[in-house]
Amino acid sequence: MTPLRETFWNIPKWAELSQYVLGVVAMLVFVYGVYRRVRRWRLGRPEVLTGTLKGRVWAFILYALAQVRVATDRFSGVMHLSVFWGMVVLFFGTILATVDWDVTRPLLGFRFLQGNFYLGYELLLDIFGIFVLVGLALALYRRYILRAPRLKSETLPTFVWDDAYLLGMLLVIVISGFLIEGVRIAALDPPWSGWSPVGAWLASFYQPLSPAALSAVHFGLWSAHGLLAFLFIASIPFTKAFHFVTAPLNIFLRDFSSPGALKKGVESGAEKITDFSWKQLLELEACTWCGRCQEACPAYASGLPLNPKALIMKLDAQLLRLPAARRLNPDMPQDVALHLHGVLVTAPELWSCTACAACAEVCPVFVRHPGIIVEMRRYLVNQGAMDGRLQDALMNLTRYGNSFGQSERARGRWTQGLGFEIPDARRQPVEFLWFAGDYAAFDPRVQAITRATARVFRAAGLDVGILYEAERNAGNDVRRVGEEGLFEALMEKNVQALGKAQFRQVVTTDPHTYHVLKNEYGVWGDGAPDGSARVLHCTELLDTLLQTGRLPIRKRLSVRATYHDPCFLGRYNGVYDSPRRVLEALGITLREMPRSRRHSYCCGAGGGRIWMEETPGIKERPAESRVREAAALGVDTLVVACPKDYVMFQDALKTTGLEGKLVIRDVMELVDEATAPAEG
Amino acid sequence: MLNILVLVKLVPDTVEELEIAPDGRSLDPASVRLILSERDEHALEQGLLLKERYGGTLTVIALDVPEVDDVLFTALAKGADRAVKITGMEPGPSTWTAAGLAARTLAAGPGLLPADLILTGVQAIDDLDGQAGPILARLLELPYVGITCRVEVDPGARSAVVVREYVGGVTGTFEVSLPVVLGVQSAEKPPRYVPVAKVRAAMKSQRLESVPASGESAVMRVEILQLMKPEATGRAVMLDGAPEEVAAQLCDVLAARGLL
Repeated sequence: MTPLRETFWNIPKWAELSQYVLGVVAMLVFVYGVYRRVRRWRLGRPEVLTGTLKGRVWAFILYALAQVRVATDRFSGVMHLSVFWGMVVLFFGTILATVDWDVTRPLLGFRFLQGNFYLGYELLLDIFGIFVLVGLALALYRRYILRAPRLKSETLPTFVWDDAYLLGMLLVIVISGFLIEGVRIAALDPPWSGWSPVGAWLASFYQPLSPAALSAVHFGLWSAHGLLAFLFIASIPFTKAFHFVTAPLNIFLRDFSSPGALKKGVESGAEKITDFSWKQLLELEACTWCGRCQEACPAYASGLPLNPKALIMKLDAQLLRLPAARRLNPDMPQDVALHLHGVLVTAPELWSCTACAACAEVCPVFVRHPGIIVEMRRYLVNQGAMDGRLQDALMNLTRYGNSFGQSERARGRWTQGLGFEIPDARRQPVEFLWFAGDYAAFDPRVQAITRATARVFRAAGLDVGILYEAERNAGNDVRRVGEEGLFEALMEKNVQALGKAQFRQVVTTDPHTYHVLKNEYGVWGDGAPDGSARVLHCTELLDTLLQTGRLPIRKRLSVRATYHDPCFLGRYNGVYDSPRRVLEALGITLREMPRSRRHSYCCGAGGGRIWMEETPGIKERPAESRVREAAALGVDTLVVACPKDYVMFQDALKTTGLEGKLVIRDVMELVDEATAPAEG
Repeated sequence: MLNILVLVKLVPDTVEELEIAPDGRSLDPASVRLILSERDEHALEQGLLLKERYGGTLTVIALDVPEVDDVLFTALAKGADRAVKITGMEPGPSTWTAAGLAARTLAAGPGLLPADLILTGVQAIDDLDGQAGPILARLLELPYVGITCRVEVDPGARSAVVVREYVGGVTGTFEVSLPVVLGVQSAEKPPRYVPVAKVRAAMKSQRLESVPASGESAVMRVEILQLMKPEATGRAVMLDGAPEEVAAQLCDVLAARGLL
């Protein structure tokens, strides 16, 4: 006897037909629900995506199918991959059974669910059904027993208990599926029942029942299973389960630039939900409320009012509350329901962000929070709503091109006392144009490092020039504050100054400057003639110089240190290894902090935070948390590669009382120390 | 509907290192960058607040000097309705000349007078004794109240209640009839921020009016004879040690200088 699937055993013809009718209805509701949501995304501003199809397919495989970002948290990875792959196999198993019974059997006269293939099919479905149950058990355990903080949500965009609905539905559908299999095996007792181990085990409980009772129980379970499954499918676009659609879609449509890179937006920013781009609206919808961003966020950890997860969920709730698109008149006055600021999202929330992009870096579905936050900050700036210190900084930047309120003529003053001149790149061609940046040029605490950098460049025999008073703040943080017009004005002046200079590559010690020049100015074309990048961080340049022996080490440093990855060098640009190689080349022994490389913890200065007034009620400043983390390693030195880090951590040493136990050194100071010609 | 005029002026930005020109009587123009006088920025803000509160039009008026266009467009972007520059006067007018010019131009310029409120900064770095406002008021034969930090208008009664701030935060409240010239010490709120994009939009969509300066200043003649930079001195001596030692050192120092 050939093993054969008894599809629709015990199911009357009317029920079989009703199932198809219900299936079609469920699909129609599903399609209608998807249509309603897609229609909302289309209310957003246009945004053109860049990226190759190959990159998109690869992203889909890596992040949607293999879910490597989910799996960085091992518990979540096991949970989610079990449920996901389990449901995929069960879903396709059901499709296969339908095709076998209702397509190939009546139309082509053959069935493929038979013989060994059928036995393998039964076994596979049982195994993957178990996977789903294990995954759901882990999910329920973590959510309702462990009560993981990141899973808690203030407001749900859809309805209360949506998380429970999703888990509960999947649980009931899979369990009822197993029960049906058990009853069927108990009634028919096929010789191959061993291939359905779960069904066979459940069948043993049904043995005492009479055949009539078995039929009745089977029909009841079958009907409930079918109804629930169709209800669930129909409900997908109206519940959290919609992430089945939006998460893979957003992963496929991901942005390939660095996680916090910004694009030209509307200067007046996002006042209403429809002021976001369609892609940003899709990102809101892709959010699965997992809370990884909340865990990674330095603002949230310091007790500041921002919770990136809650922000995205609130915005999504606002999107879902939109009146139906066809009733939405584009000329409608600013409706309260559309307005985002004040009640829904407060200004302190938005100003808390340091633009460190840790949130976007960990997001499994590629939500880009920094872009969304900056859109909303642009609205605040356009209204002139900001604190006094930030306003002063922006006015200084407008007038003097630096946030220090110093004369632009003073920009080159740090070179005094060097003992040698730095060529003016506006007057003579140079190989490297050194774009110093504000903190390096103006902050008295950082100027010593800037001079050390000049000595290192000289020791390596580099042909380096600076722009003197023609340089302006590069505008990285101005843009992240949301002052797009000022950013553009600064960029125009810098592009003009750079256009007058002759150079091969730009080098800077400042990661903020580095990022914005390299990625957001959009003026470099295809890079330097030799194919190398047009903009370098000093650690990238030093890495090459040390490896090629162009900069000889004269004194090995016996320092036990740890290295802090600056946000704009690491996460934004993936430069993790160059600074470490440089430090190791100097003889330094490096120990890694628990939060390093892409999980590096922001010093709290970015996104214009360094210009803002301190928020009252802060629990632990990010820089304080960071120096404590470094000190706990037992190292004596915390090495930084960013002028703002240097300033922030110096302050944090004083407020944490770690002065004398830990020193902050810039990588360039250490290189200078190791390469300085012997005295005398 | 109030007709508000705000008179602003640009002064040398002290962030720059100012140099004295070879004539010894003026600043070296190469060292000077002009900036809107801080009190005038408050006068503009006070005017904008009054316009928002009571309705009306606000016209900002300045002498035509380098960089004045930026200042006037910024004022338009902040909410001023008109921006007028007084052109064709001799460079570097004194406070008295400038106030006279302003008074005559207000009378000659189209649609400026009669005004309900004429606001200006109570002082400037080159007018520390705050003469500009009083002179203007005298020439226009209007009342003047200076050092204001709060203004409330009763348009129906044609009067204003003005708060002046004295040393130590003591305030005095005055009632004055309109029209009036006010010398603003500080606006009720810090001057607002106007984003660069709005200033650029104002430059594209709005225009500045020019009114030629007319007539000679007959008010009074004051001339600068000499400008001098402060002399750097390094004569401070720090004494330290126990009180007795410090006292002994002090006696020695005084004796050495023939003061004992």
